[in-house]
Amino acid sequence: MNLDYLWNGFTVALTMQNLLIGLAGCFIGTLVGALPAIGPINGIALLLPIAYTMGLPAESTMILLAAVYCGAEYGGRISSILLNVPGDAGAVMTALDGNPMARQGRAGEALMLSGLSSFVGGVLGAVGLALFAPLLAGLAIGFGPAEYFVLMVFAFATLGSMVGSQPVKTLIGCTLGLMLATVGLDATSGAYRFTFNEPELGDGIEFVVLVIGLFSVSEALLILEHQASGVTVIRNLGRMTARLDDIRKSVGATLRGSVIGFIVGVLPGTGASVSSAVSYTTEKRISDTEGTFGKGDVRGLAAPEAANNATACGAFVPMLTLGVPGSGTTAVMLGALMLYNIQPGPMLITERPEVVGGLVASLFVGNFLLLLLNLPLVNIFARVLTVPNWLLVPGILVLSIVGVYSTHASIFSILLMLAIGMIGWLLRKAGFDMAPIILGFVLGHVMEVNLRNALAISGGDVSILFQSTISIILWILAAAMALMPLVLGWKRTRAAKTVQAS
Amino acid sequence: MSETTTSSSRIGQIGGLLMLVLAIAYGIGGSRIEYAFSSDPLGPRVVPVLLAIILAVLCIFHLRKPGMTEAFPNGQLLAKIIAVPLLLLASALLLEPAGFVASIFLLTLGVGWIFGAPLRLALVGAVGQAALWWFVFAYLLDVYLPVGRLFG
Repeated sequence: MNLDYLWNGFTVALTMQNLLIGLAGCFIGTLVGALPAIGPINGIALLLPIAYTMGLPAESTMILLAAVYCGAEYGGRISSILLNVPGDAGAVMTALDGNPMARQGRAGEALMLSGLSSFVGGVLGAVGLALFAPLLAGLAIGFGPAEYFVLMVFAFATLGSMVGSQPVKTLIGCTLGLMLATVGLDATSGAYRFTFNEPELGDGIEFVVLVIGLFSVSEALLILEHQASGVTVIRNLGRMTARLDDIRKSVGATLRGSVIGFIVGVLPGTGASVSSAVSYTTEKRISDTEGTFGKGDVRGLAAPEAANNATACGAFVPMLTLGVPGSGTTAVMLGALMLYNIQPGPMLITERPEVVGGLVASLFVGNFLLLLLNLPLVNIFARVLTVPNWLLVPGILVLSIVGVYSTHASIFSILLMLAIGMIGWLLRKAGFDMAPIILGFVLGHVMEVNLRNALAISGGDVSILFQSTISIILWILAAAMALMPLVLGWKRTRAAKTVQAS
Repeated sequence: MSETTTSSSRIGQIGGLLMLVLAIAYGIGGSRIEYAFSSDPLGPRVVPVLLAIILAVLCIFHLRKPGMTEAFPNGQLLAKIIAVPLLLLASALLLEPAGFVASIFLLTLGVGWIFGAPLRLALVGAVGQAALWWFVFAYLLDVYLPVGRLFG
């Protein structure tokens, strides 16, 4: 197997500038993860425009954003354990056993142990990424427009069945994203679509405006509504080392969590919230023979933490090789690449090896940096949890304005961001997730172009979408994914009926 | 079922209907896109129309089972929720005439106060944030920010 891209990547990731950028990213990411109000997507959405306007090269921006992403998956555990409030979506499961441990005076142990399993998950995820990315890229090199179109159908089917409890809402979100992507100039025909004669919409809705509106502005309003009352920070951390016994006991859970996390990460659109839930329930089924899960079992802590970090790495596999993001956060990073006029796909690894290799190598480097940041310095991050909202939220809003204004230097963009933020707030209150909208938006243009190219090749004959073996396999996989929740739901009602009958 | 649940599922239904209207409007708009020439058989209209149909079908499913909607805030909280976007609007409109520092001062002061800081603390926070962010962006990171026509 040819891993030259990775070795070359290390020469990119280990330059002084990129090391410092990576370190800054790890620090910011852990902070962003630890703060319950904001997660990796918010952090990346706010940093991306700043990195772009500072004129950082594409690979440095990617290294920065990837470090924030991984750092947030590490940092999320801190508030899960100390506050019983997950720091981000991937750390919801961490609270189930992490917080009981903290209440037993074992907060320090829980932080250390989960830091270690995060590290194992992160490194194994990075190894998986380094090995699978070239394989998948090689496979996808034969994809034509028809195959790409079907691949995206598969991505949306996966999203609908895996993300959130309400598939219809997830799919509505995707469709809204796809619709937003149609705004602007249509390159093939020169027609302006849905621009309402507004010249600023001619190039379409700017990605940064959409992301910041959906994730920062709406978040600020939600924080205001849910101002946490009476949450107590556990201050007595206890001993700050993990017990050897506990480490030994959690090895299996960590490894299983890493594998599950990586696989879920590779699936399109499904991020850390899904993988940590799957790994926790799996681990509970396998290991919880004495009913200790939920009461401070180290295995229940290790499994989801390893999983969410492995997911962050796994999610890069389809993003870098197919241009289909593996999670909501990588969807934002895909948008970042597009800002640099880089269209990810199977050729990226050979055309821009410094971007792919640098990113993959930086994940290895980043996980070591994160281990250093998160074991000895965990106290500092724990203190951040006490930053009051009246300082934090204005700060988020300032960064939103700076982010949008610095990339577009127009007040119209800020107003559009505000309008999108209000709509996002309404949608979130109605139980809609924002990530599918972003996924739809970043895939929308490519999906339409591929569909139209495929039909241009066939002269308008739709059967081209069902011709190649790859397309047929992808259609079958998409159908299986779409039917999965129906089958599971049917099984569940049948099981419930049997229970009732007996 | 309590009072709030029924009213919130009604809100979900209203939302679903609004989205259905959006789907129809988008579809009609899409079918009327004007173009002289397209190099592909589909042209710029088909994808928007398809998306409109998909959204309409999804909305009908959604209307049958709108699920739970979080209760909407009222009273003081609602006033606060409305005030935050208004402050953002004001500082966006002030950004170019009054400059970054003044507009950020207004935003951080107002939002800080809305988020429950005593006025004096909010004032200190706002002065601090305006100075901090100006220093970080204008000096450290060299990001262009408007100085303002009123003072500069």
